[in-house]
Amino acid sequence: MSEIATIVDRHRGKRGDLIAILEEIQSRYSYLPEDSLREVAQRTGRSLVDIYGVATFYRWFSLEPRGKHVVTCCMGTACHVRGAPRVVEALGRRLGITAGQTTPDRNFTLETVNCLGACAMGPVVVIDGRYHPKVASSAVSALVDRTARGNGTAEGEEADGKRLVLNVRCPRCGHSLLDEQHPLEDRPSIRLEAVRDGRAGWIRLSSVYGSPRVAAESDIPSGTVVDFQCPQCHAHLADGLPCWDCGAPMFALQIVGGGTMSFCSRRGCTRHLLDVNPEPPTRPLLSER
Amino acid sequence: MSTPYEPYLLTADGTADFGALRRYEERGGWAAARRAVTEMTPAEVIGLVKAAGLRGRGGAGFPAGVKWGFVPPPDRVPGPRYLVVNADESEPGTFKDQALLETDPHLTLEGAVIAAYAIGAETIYIYIRGEMPAEARILQEAIHEAYGAGHLGAGLYDTATRMDVTVHRGAGAYICGEETALLTSLEGGRGYPRIKPPFPAFSGLFGQPTIINNVETLANVPAIVNRGVAWFRSMGTEQSPGGKIFSLSGHLKRPGNYEAPLGIGLLTLLHDPRYGAGPWQERPFKAVIPGGSSVPVLRADELDVRMDFESLQAAGTMLGSGGVIAMDESVDMVEVLYNLARFYHHESCGQCTPCREGTGWTARILRRFHENRGREEDLALLLDIADQMMGKTICPLADALAMPVKSHVTKFPDEFRRHMGGEIPRYVPPSSWAVG
Repeated sequence: MSEIATIVDRHRGKRGDLIAILEEIQSRYSYLPEDSLREVAQRTGRSLVDIYGVATFYRWFSLEPRGKHVVTCCMGTACHVRGAPRVVEALGRRLGITAGQTTPDRNFTLETVNCLGACAMGPVVVIDGRYHPKVASSAVSALVDRTARGNGTAEGEEADGKRLVLNVRCPRCGHSLLDEQHPLEDRPSIRLEAVRDGRAGWIRLSSVYGSPRVAAESDIPSGTVVDFQCPQCHAHLADGLPCWDCGAPMFALQIVGGGTMSFCSRRGCTRHLLDVNPEPPTRPLLSER
Repeated sequence: MSTPYEPYLLTADGTADFGALRRYEERGGWAAARRAVTEMTPAEVIGLVKAAGLRGRGGAGFPAGVKWGFVPPPDRVPGPRYLVVNADESEPGTFKDQALLETDPHLTLEGAVIAAYAIGAETIYIYIRGEMPAEARILQEAIHEAYGAGHLGAGLYDTATRMDVTVHRGAGAYICGEETALLTSLEGGRGYPRIKPPFPAFSGLFGQPTIINNVETLANVPAIVNRGVAWFRSMGTEQSPGGKIFSLSGHLKRPGNYEAPLGIGLLTLLHDPRYGAGPWQERPFKAVIPGGSSVPVLRADELDVRMDFESLQAAGTMLGSGGVIAMDESVDMVEVLYNLARFYHHESCGQCTPCREGTGWTARILRRFHENRGREEDLALLLDIADQMMGKTICPLADALAMPVKSHVTKFPDEFRRHMGGEIPRYVPPSSWAVG
């Protein structure tokens, strides 16, 4: 049975099934290939024109292949008055395309959207689902470069749809920090020790990059700054730099395969950075576990 | 107001994550749903919300209890009833529902359960905007928690009531925030608005009685059940009781969501250090949009107004969704309107000629101004087209462009005249624009 048939079957008998079917095809192929629409029409008994109508009505669906990275610039009124048009222009210049187009190498698609509801942080650019607040047109090139370089170069990262899942270990003892027994968001969590007022307790962070999900032994009030330690060697994991947003210390974990993932130690602050090392490690990696 | 306002909508501490349910219950959460289902009749719940005078927070401000009361009794229209939660927040400048769902998903869920109970629905659909994947995930986890704790599912609180929730993610269409378009979209089609009547309360989702409420409207309901009519009416104004989340954005020092009583002064929201804290770079304000991009804009000399449904109506504009966009002297009003017109043209579903053609021609004429080729007669033409759009379509999307067009053109004609050829004046931003 074809993949399309499987998808259609999964939604059979559910009311309002068509959009869900198309969403699933779109996330599988990053667009809606013509053949797939014909097969959906045949298998659901709906006319092709009906399906075409739905597929072209919603912004999320595309009849053209989309780029590996999708760059979306918000053009809502709040972002617009804070300079979004110049950001779109700069993105277009950097990528050599205009909004709505995909680069010939299919690496980037540039889109504009009318308000993402992130008005307080405008102008906002979203790259592969990650929000970049207060983007200046001068910062666009660096953003694009980082995206082009960043993904897929480190082992242990996997692209799970739009979610980037991190495999991390302690930068000191090299022990894996992933906790398979206690998943968060269907993925192994990152287990650390949180030290507050001299007392240590376990804390688990989501391994999905950008996710703010946390589970902790005791509640940590918003705004509290926490120290993080490796649960194996109890090394203090601060990377010595303050957070760009709030000034609290940043903590760093090593990504298996090269690079670091840093995050702010203040509860409620979502600043985190991914620095994927483009060069191969200079010495062989220690055993992974 | 004698006593200081005490927030009841945005009370959660940070992002909802592991243990959202436990923390919500610790703050007294889910007690209202239990009480409504076990101790009150549906009619009593409707009566309570009617008496409280809760008005819809999605934009139109229709009294929620009155809306619920429109659902016909089962002997007149048999079959299932549906409650639909409108979480398709897409109005430019509005981000309150997003905050509610992200920080406190159980509050909206609880309000939805109470509303569903009141109208006799056993199924709740939550239509969440496709651009909110994180919120959808948080909501889904909260629903899972609520089923586990017996706040959803069969035999609710040991009664015969059953309650199920399904989350439906939108696929990117502004029009789907309009309630009948939302229903068509839920049914799997293009999001076309439907002619009313029949109103959804009689014939909505799959032809059955359906009530559609905004997230923030439902988030008000648990507190009304818990604390009563007198408490709710002690805040806000006679015709606009209660609190409201105002989303502040644009050229402000402290943009963000702020909860305040309805009727608070717009100037307070803009300048008070507890709220917007004044203009971003000390440049004076030129204009403020008080309720999301589709309501008429206010000039700097019109800002002394109270933020409630009736005061803003008297001032010739609307409270809308409560999304306040502040614009300082650096803003070119022609560009703002041109951007809006292109947006509404793109989002027009195309069913009604005045909207499909009107938004397109408005955008084309404004493009002339954008290219500095505007003509004096275009000003009258824009107003004429806006008149031909207002109130002549199935849904209010045409009005949502016509109102800003009228207010921009009549309040800032000189800005348009600066775009009528000659050497004009693109605004050159100071270097301090480079933020971040």
